[in-house]
Amino acid sequence: MTATLTELEGLTAAKVIDARGAACPGPLLEAKKGMGTVPVGSVIEIWSTDPVTKTDIGAWSAKVGHEFLGTIVADGYDRVFVTRRK
Amino acid sequence: MADGEKLVFMVTHGPDHPEHATIPFVMAGAALASDVQVVLGFQAGGVELMRTGVADGVEAAGFPPLRKLLDDVRALGALLLVCGPCINSRGIVAPDDLVEGAEVVAAGRFVAEITSATNSMTY
Repeated sequence: MTATLTELEGLTAAKVIDARGAACPGPLLEAKKGMGTVPVGSVIEIWSTDPVTKTDIGAWSAKVGHEFLGTIVADGYDRVFVTRRK
Repeated sequence: MADGEKLVFMVTHGPDHPEHATIPFVMAGAALASDVQVVLGFQAGGVELMRTGVADGVEAAGFPPLRKLLDDVRALGALLLVCGPCINSRGIVAPDDLVEGAEVVAAGRFVAEITSATNSMTY
C-alpha cells in the first residue's frame, strides 16, 4: 500500500541511500545492500536520478516481500521509500 | 537463496557487442538482489568476457561499466560457467587467463543448470 505525499514527507528514514548518478541495476543493488543494515519495520529512502528506479524498486519490493511506500519528486532526482518487512 | 528460484543467463556476445555483453550482467544483478540464484553461462564469443582484463574495457551506453557489474554479481554469489571448447578454440588457458571465480565446464553442466532452473535466457 502506498503512502500519501504528506505521509511520505513526514517520514524519517532509518537509512538514506544516495544512488544518484548510478545506472540500472545500481540503485537496486544499493537498496538491497542498504536494506540489510536496518531492522525489520524500518524505512529506507533511495535517491536516484534514473527515472525507472521508482518502478523498479516497486517491483523488487513486491518480489522480495518489502513494502513500497512511494516516491517524492525532488530537485532532479526521485526519493523512493520502502519499508523492510522481512 | 530463500525461495529456491534460479535463473540462467547465457552470454554469447563478447566485447565487440557491449550492450549484448552487459545486459545479462544487469539482469543477473537484479535477480540476485531479488534473492534469485544466478548462473551466468559463457559460450561462443561470450567467453572473451571471462578473459582477465577484458571486462575492464567494456561499457555500454546507459549502463554501468561491465567491470563493476562483474564485481557486483560475483560478490552476490553468481556462478560463472565458461564453455571449455569455446576457450580452447580461442587460445584461452584456464585458469591463468580467466577471471577469478570462473569455472570451466562442458555441455552437460550447462544442460544440468538450465533444466534445473526456473528459467533461462540467452543473450
